[in-house]
Amino acid sequence: MIVARDLAARQGDFRLEGVSFHIPPSAYGVVIGPAGSGKTTLLEALAGIVPLTGGTLHLAGADAAHLRPEQRRVGLVYQHGYLFPHLSVQDNVAYGATDPAAVDEVVRRFDLAALRHRDVVSLSGGERQLVALARALARRPAILLLDEPFSALDPSRRTRTRREVRAIHREWQLTVLQVTHDFTEAGLLGDVAVLLDKGRVLQSGPPADVFRRPASPYIAEFLGAENVLAGTVRVLADAAPDWIEGLRGETFGSMHAVEFTSGALTLYAVGPVPDGSTAYAVIRAEEVVISREPHASSARNLFRGRIREVALLGAYARVTLDVAGVPLVAGLTSRSVHELGLREGDEAWATFKAMAVHLC
Amino acid sequence: MSSIRRLAAVSTLVPALGASLLLLFLVLPIGELVVQGSASGIRRLGTDGELRSALALTAVTATVATLLGVALGTPLAYLLARRRFRGRAVLSALLDLPLVIPHPVAGIALLLVLGRDSAVGGTLLLAGVRVVGTPVGIVAAMLFVSAPLFVSGAREAFARVDPRYESVARTLGDGAWRVFRRITLPLAGRGLLASAVVMWARAVSEFGAIVILTYNPKVVSVLSYDRFTTFGLGEAIPVAAVLVLLAVVPLALLRTLRGDAITNPGGMG
Repeated sequence: MIVARDLAARQGDFRLEGVSFHIPPSAYGVVIGPAGSGKTTLLEALAGIVPLTGGTLHLAGADAAHLRPEQRRVGLVYQHGYLFPHLSVQDNVAYGATDPAAVDEVVRRFDLAALRHRDVVSLSGGERQLVALARALARRPAILLLDEPFSALDPSRRTRTRREVRAIHREWQLTVLQVTHDFTEAGLLGDVAVLLDKGRVLQSGPPADVFRRPASPYIAEFLGAENVLAGTVRVLADAAPDWIEGLRGETFGSMHAVEFTSGALTLYAVGPVPDGSTAYAVIRAEEVVISREPHASSARNLFRGRIREVALLGAYARVTLDVAGVPLVAGLTSRSVHELGLREGDEAWATFKAMAVHLC
Repeated sequence: MSSIRRLAAVSTLVPALGASLLLLFLVLPIGELVVQGSASGIRRLGTDGELRSALALTAVTATVATLLGVALGTPLAYLLARRRFRGRAVLSALLDLPLVIPHPVAGIALLLVLGRDSAVGGTLLLAGVRVVGTPVGIVAAMLFVSAPLFVSGAREAFARVDPRYESVARTLGDGAWRVFRRITLPLAGRGLLASAVVMWARAVSEFGAIVILTYNPKVVSVLSYDRFTTFGLGEAIPVAAVLVLLAVVPLALLRTLRGDAITNPGGMG
């Protein structure tokens, strides 16, 4: 468990300030944020490398704010591994281990037996990351802090290693906090996502919430939301209108059914925003369905437009539809693009549900 | 040849010529000394008892001074490399002071502090330690002029060790002292040894401060000066050549040690 409240720390001119988040026991947390947002500093502050200048910190149930790094039962894996260059792979892995069986286990699990007696300077970047992971885990920490630990691995090894770390996390009831730039990884691994920027936590919570309901347009854009539209809100009713599937006739807290106008585009959404306010509508590309004919569904938002761009990205594709001058990006498979025969300049229809629009 | 190509050729030739001249200026006198005096100097070691004693005294006092410098200078070098504190710049400047003042001046300053009439010298004398006119004075003079070289080199060696190696070791259960012993010292080891060798070589070749504190018993540098003023150049050359050869040993050792200390996490990618 990691409970951080109003943490403050300083490293050179950089400051972490008011950092609060909660990673429950045995949960897998991910820290995401742009370069220079303080992700590594945060891990170092949790590990006790960078001293805290304020706030409280509990690690695995213990007040850790004043504990030295060696007392925190925390394993730290840097992106570059930082293997001790004067020691062999074996001696690196065994460096902090108290039980030789634990060393053997991590060597087996990360498939490092062939590297055991190698000099670490002869290892590839990916091998270094694996050895660094094994070294941290061989000590059997209560909390594992990972700073982009899979970045140098080839895709197949990355998938296997990610799976192995997840398995160890479950079996050993380990609390993990991992820094990643990879949103897919964040979604795959994380129980809790912490979004950091300029030394502050912008938002934290289940990754699905953070990705689907970003707290600000900045977060939405950082998280790769393709459609972020600025506009004005008109509240339609306090009760859910009949076009909101599954919520017919219900009231739901401070949420309102609203009409949102952005340029020439008017769309329908549900949100906690007051009447007449300006806001941002965030629609993830995968929520937008593209069709040749008007889509026969209950989705309230249906627009006709002209295809401005078809970007094929391997198995996936991004199609940008120009709707009265407003670009709407839809995500679909490349196969669907071929099956529908979508080409730039063609007319097409875009559909998405009111509930797929996140207002912030 | 176009004027641009001619300009490029001149801009390469002129610095190369300058560098060659400087190199020649530095190497020629020492080379000439070694060529003229080393054979007779080595021969004299068999017959000249004073030279043998001076050589032994130089080696022993330089080694003691170096060991003291390493023992006392290593923590200071680590502190300067790793910690940011108020007065760090002043401390660094103070450490450079012995390197920039003339060495006879350093000898006079040491005499002021360690002479029998001074508080420190008087106390040492009461404790049975005479500084002036003894090997202790030689060690003091050598330490004063050469320890800053060790501290400076050792500081560089520590600074080249990425502190994240130490951070990782801390999270692997080691306390600060154990990390220093298991990680920092081995990684900075080459640089520390090289700095110690430079300090030793500097101590061996010290003259100005030693001659003020302890003229007798004579170290090799003082003996070569003594032979020069008493008997002339011919007698001074073999002694001076022996001193040069003594300094060549650590330099050769330094060459074999040369190899970059580990400065990065191991060449990722």
